Parts: sequence; C-alpha cells; structure tokens
Amino acid sequence: MSTKPQPNPEPPGLAEALDRLWRQFMPQMYDRVAVLDTVVGPLATGALADAHRDAVAAAAHNLAGILGSFGLPEGTVLAREAETICSQHSEAAPAAAARVAEIAMHLRYLIESRR
Amino acid sequence: MSHRILIIDDEDDIREVAALSLETVAGWDVVTANSGAQGLLRAVEHLPDAVLLDVMMPGMDGPTTFREIRKNPVTAHIPVILLTAKVQSNDQRRFADLGVNAILFKPFDPLTLAQQISDALGWK
Repeated sequence: MSTKPQPNPEPPGLAEALDRLWRQFMPQMYDRVAVLDTVVGPLATGALADAHRDAVAAAAHNLAGILGSFGLPEGTVLAREAETICSQHSEAAPAAAARVAEIAMHLRYLIESRR
Repeated sequence: MSHRILIIDDEDDIREVAALSLETVAGWDVVTANSGAQGLLRAVEHLPDAVLLDVMMPGMDGPTTFREIRKNPVTAHIPVILLTAKVQSNDQRRFADLGVNAILFKPFDPLTLAQQISDALGWK
C-alpha cells in the first residue's frame, strides 16, 4: 500500500486546527513585530548595536518563515524585506528606518486581518 | 504502513504547524524536539524514518545537529531534510554542501509539506 500522501482535497479539520494554532501563536506574531519597531530609531541615527540588529533580524526571519504557512504570503515577503534591511545597514539610514516602520505597520494589519 | 518524522525546530509555531500538517494530511507519526540536543536524544529513542531539521537554532544549530546525527552509528542512516527560511543561493549552496538529503523552504504549505518530503526522499 502506498504511503504517499494525497494533498487534495483538504483533509477535514485542517483549516480549523490551523485557525486554532493561529489564535494560539498570534501574540508571538505581535511580539515579533514589536521587535521590528525597536530598530526604527537606532537605524535612523546609525546607533544600531550588533546584538540589537541580530535580534531584529531574527524576529523578521521568524515572521518570514511562518506567516506564509498561515496563508499570509505577503507577510512573508514584507518580513524578508525587513530582515534584509536590518542586516544591510550599519550607518545612519533614515529611509531604511522609515521603510521598516511601514513594514511593521503593514504586518500588524495583516495579522489583525487574519483573525 | 506509516512514516515517523522527527521535527527539530526551536520555534513553537513552526513545529506545531508542521506536526499538524504531517499528522492530518498524511497520517504520519510525528515526534518533535525544540533544540538540536533534544533532537539527538529523540532520534536515538524513536529512530524516525526522516528528520525535518531547522537551520537556525540557538545552541546547537541545524548543521551541527546534522553532523552529530551522521556521526552516531545508530542514527547515521536516517534521511535528514533541512528546513530553512534562508532563500539566498549562497546559503542554499552552503546547506547542500553539508550532504543533507534535501532542503525545503519556509514558509511551507501545510497542505503539501508531506508531499514535498515524500518527493524529496523518493517515497512511493
């Protein structure tokens, strides 16, 4: 007997179970977005410490890795952009900081709308 | 017959969505670990048919965990699939050079993750 899974149609209960996990982990999503917010000031002024940069890049990386699995591919794209921005700038970068602030706001909207 | 998969990932949400996906869509048996060190213990204890291994983890990261799995004669034969959100080609080359069986990318589609694993490992 073949054990190869047949992905379609969607198994009963999968969507509901994913919704339950989404509700369970939504606070974590907001927490990660809040970490993105903390980078805006230091990135704009060139005062971003390496450890802070790593923490923000990690939060963005985690968001990029999960939002698409919950049906938010746009969130993954935005989070990847934030990760790239945070990893690239060590000097004062006001435009990049403003973009991260925009991304954080948009991510909040997407998370809220997934409810 | 079913497959048993060990998921090693420090992120609770990724781990739980992957486990839900494999259990619900494919009916596979899933064991989870939240760190590389815990994953090594679980691998010996459960001898899974494959390991789905996160790359970026605090402490023992994915590549180090993979090497430890290969070093242990008890687990050396187990196929290992890296699961990563790193999409840049230089990262992919670096991971491929490790000698893992396959690389899958986050975010995965919960509906097709089991299919991707089956395809990657040549499971019928």
